[in-house]
Amino acid sequence: MRIVIVGAGKVGYQLVESLTKENHDLIVIDTNQDVIDKINDNFDVLTRKGNGISSSLLKGLEIEGWDLLIAVTDSDEANIVACITAKKVGVKTAIARVRNPEYVVELDFMKNKLGIDYIINPEHATANEIIRLLLNTHTCYAADFAKGHVRMSEIMIEASSNLAGKQIKDINLPGGVIITAITRNGEVIIPNGFDYVMRDDTLYIMGEKGAVDSVAKTAGLRLINNRVKNVLIIGGGKVGYYLAKGLERLDTNVKIIEKNLDRCRELAESLDNTLVLHGDGTDITLLKAENVEGMDAFLAVTGYDEENLLVSVLAKQLGAGKVIAKVSRSNYTSVLETIGIDNAVSPKLITASDILRIVRGGRIVSISLLIGGRAEVVEIMPQEGTPALNKPLKELKIPKSIIIGAILRNGKVIIPNGDSVIKSGDRVIVFTLDSHIEKVTKLFSKKGGGMGIHELINSVKNAGDAASM
Amino acid sequence: MNSLIVLRTLGMLLLCEAVAMLPPVVVALIYREDTVFAFLISMAVAVLIGLMLFSIRVKNKIIRYKEGFAIVTFGWLAVSILGALPFLFTGAITSFIDAFFETVSGFTTTGATVLEDIEVLPYSLLFWRSFTHWLGGMGILVLALALAPALGGGTFQILKAESPGPISTKLTPRVNNTAKILYVTYTVITAAEILLLYIGGMPLFDSFIHTFGTLGTGGFSLKNASIGAYGSVYFDTVITFFMIASGVNFSLYYIMFKKRNLSGFIKDSEFKTYLSIIAVAILLVTLNLNGKVYSSIFESMRHASFQVASIITTTGYTTTDFDIWPDLSRAVLFLLMFVGACAGSTGGAMKVIRVHLAFKYMKREVNRLIHPRAVKAVKVGNVPVQEEVLSGVMAFTMFYILIFITVTLLMAMQGHDLISSAAATAATLGNVGPGFGIVGPTSTYYALSGFSKALLSFCMILGRLEIYTVITLLSPHFWKR
Repeated sequence: MRIVIVGAGKVGYQLVESLTKENHDLIVIDTNQDVIDKINDNFDVLTRKGNGISSSLLKGLEIEGWDLLIAVTDSDEANIVACITAKKVGVKTAIARVRNPEYVVELDFMKNKLGIDYIINPEHATANEIIRLLLNTHTCYAADFAKGHVRMSEIMIEASSNLAGKQIKDINLPGGVIITAITRNGEVIIPNGFDYVMRDDTLYIMGEKGAVDSVAKTAGLRLINNRVKNVLIIGGGKVGYYLAKGLERLDTNVKIIEKNLDRCRELAESLDNTLVLHGDGTDITLLKAENVEGMDAFLAVTGYDEENLLVSVLAKQLGAGKVIAKVSRSNYTSVLETIGIDNAVSPKLITASDILRIVRGGRIVSISLLIGGRAEVVEIMPQEGTPALNKPLKELKIPKSIIIGAILRNGKVIIPNGDSVIKSGDRVIVFTLDSHIEKVTKLFSKKGGGMGIHELINSVKNAGDAASM
Repeated sequence: MNSLIVLRTLGMLLLCEAVAMLPPVVVALIYREDTVFAFLISMAVAVLIGLMLFSIRVKNKIIRYKEGFAIVTFGWLAVSILGALPFLFTGAITSFIDAFFETVSGFTTTGATVLEDIEVLPYSLLFWRSFTHWLGGMGILVLALALAPALGGGTFQILKAESPGPISTKLTPRVNNTAKILYVTYTVITAAEILLLYIGGMPLFDSFIHTFGTLGTGGFSLKNASIGAYGSVYFDTVITFFMIASGVNFSLYYIMFKKRNLSGFIKDSEFKTYLSIIAVAILLVTLNLNGKVYSSIFESMRHASFQVASIITTTGYTTTDFDIWPDLSRAVLFLLMFVGACAGSTGGAMKVIRVHLAFKYMKREVNRLIHPRAVKAVKVGNVPVQEEVLSGVMAFTMFYILIFITVTLLMAMQGHDLISSAAATAATLGNVGPGFGIVGPTSTYYALSGFSKALLSFCMILGRLEIYTVITLLSPHFWKR
């Protein structure tokens, strides 16, 4: 596919990194020479210094007939205009990142009248992800696939866990559960039966929902009540606003602590049942006064990664229930496991996986980026005529770092072995390291793997299905 | 530094070189020469070493600046050493340093030779000698990039380190596509010249040899008297045209093919400067020669334009012994050895764009003295040039002159006269070939000492890889962890 990316900030860079691994032709446009140099040093893409809005720049690149333009600069307006210009120049599909809540209500207008095909709102997506995590029964990360039948869960091995020090073949896993990956000191291991599970490892297990939950329980994980009644949010930015808005609808008592008085007033005006507090989220007396230990959930979503992390650790010590922090820089993900925060969400990775789903199109239903983007779980509906169909898995020569975790057929979950066969109409849940994504795409799509508009609509519908499950 | 990826890429390069030895084998078979075995053994050696290096397992495939510099420098050394084997195995050249000099001269498109009589060489060797020009002209690593599947991230570093000019641009998002486009353009122009020479009555084999020499801006011939041996105005004109054409940035041809008009050439200020320098130089030399060396203005113009084109594009073909020309003409030619061709062409030396930028920079400095508070950007055409590029150009110019002075001194220390020492240095550093005095158009580099040959070989590689790529490897910082 031929793709133009306008703006090479955090999300833009992540997109370039993911897309170059999949053999797309990329042009990256940014106004900042330093950013351009960094991209040039690391990736094989064409770069242009300049303003992505400029029609003469876009025309000069001769991108008529190109498949996709993704506008992810830091300005909403620039993204919107860049997409409109690109469509006029002849790019087939345009995706804009728009974060201002005032524009979000204009979505229909932008899609229908301005011709922007997709609007990505990172803050909204992040808030949704956090709410999803809150409603989850696990204290750790978990994601559901195949209409909720298959679950991928992250288990941290504490010293007291009965799994610590065992060889994988000696662990009595219930049928239908596999350990797909282990992260140890920031390193990703694809284990075989002879590998040991060590203290402080994080296991990524996948399988049928009930079975995964029981493994999590035996591993010493607490399952918490998913009824979240009291929530304290630190930071009343866009994410905080969307969170409060979403939680209000779920009948939750929400408190927001925000530093800026003007912003507090705005929040108070636009939110109905939320208590807006003016103060500093790191102020321990304020936290205590607002009963932090009685909170079911504590969400740190200020604009500063460091502040979010520190205040989360503080809240955990004070006895808050589930603690989730927003962390934008994925460089921090390797240390997160060690400091005791239940979850960290990265708007960058969420946005990137949303966009990647659109780019890959085809029959990909959902994508989750794991371990700071170094691994992915992909749910695919294989197309008729793809190489993976109607052959025993052992004949497909799948590399070790691609694991077919589960197959959903007629509403039943099948945990495959070497003799299993994928048939058309199945949903397949695949775990893969980022180095092998292209191979996965090849296995499950017809030659070319282009993105027809019907398939796109389908995939979005399917994603909607999956989300509503 | 990630030395494994460097070794693996070198392995791939040697395999490519082995493939490049196939055409001379075919030539040997056609002319029933017994050099076949010499080439086959050389190929076997290249394949063996190449496979050994290529089979190294590499975990981290990222190529950064350092790896790019190392791959290109060591790549050129390795290719030159293995490329010298056919000369040694056939016995055409007996000493290793001579064979190495000849091959480096071939790959760097210098065209300086140590062979006293080239007309006795077997056809296959003549072909190999000139073929190295063709390969080295566009770049052997660029060829490897075009042929091989993507090497991984950072291959642009290789293209940047090997292709000439202060600013490297890609024509397409992916490096290997850019490399393919460059080679296709190159091949098309090559075919055109072969055809034109052949139509004009040059034997087919001779046409191939001279086209390789012209397109790569090399200068190896199969006649001792070079192009002068034919004494044909038609050949002179065709070769002059193609020499000038090979000195032009090749991406301009791609733009021409794509847009089907000449707007790329008209807008390119380097191209315009290049043509202006050529025109002025031809005019000066013609006026200087007329009446003194040649009686007719036509004759003067013919030799002047051929020689000016040959020297500025750093080809080094000759139609006449320009060493006996008057001093003004020789001075003009000597200066042209420094200017060289356009960036992104197959030519060598400092490149027109650098000279152009250096002059603009000087102009700005003068302006700054007059208006101390003025803020001015140096532009090429309408595009502003970054300050880092500018200071890079200035440092390059200083490096170039420093190396020229040092090597000239080292040559003079061995008892050569000043003109010969300076000309030999300028001619090898600029990848021109023939110089003045003892290395003039009628003589060769054979008589020089082994030390001089090694020194000048180093100059050729320095010049071809535009100094920085090689010099960074000599810095102790490069090898620190």
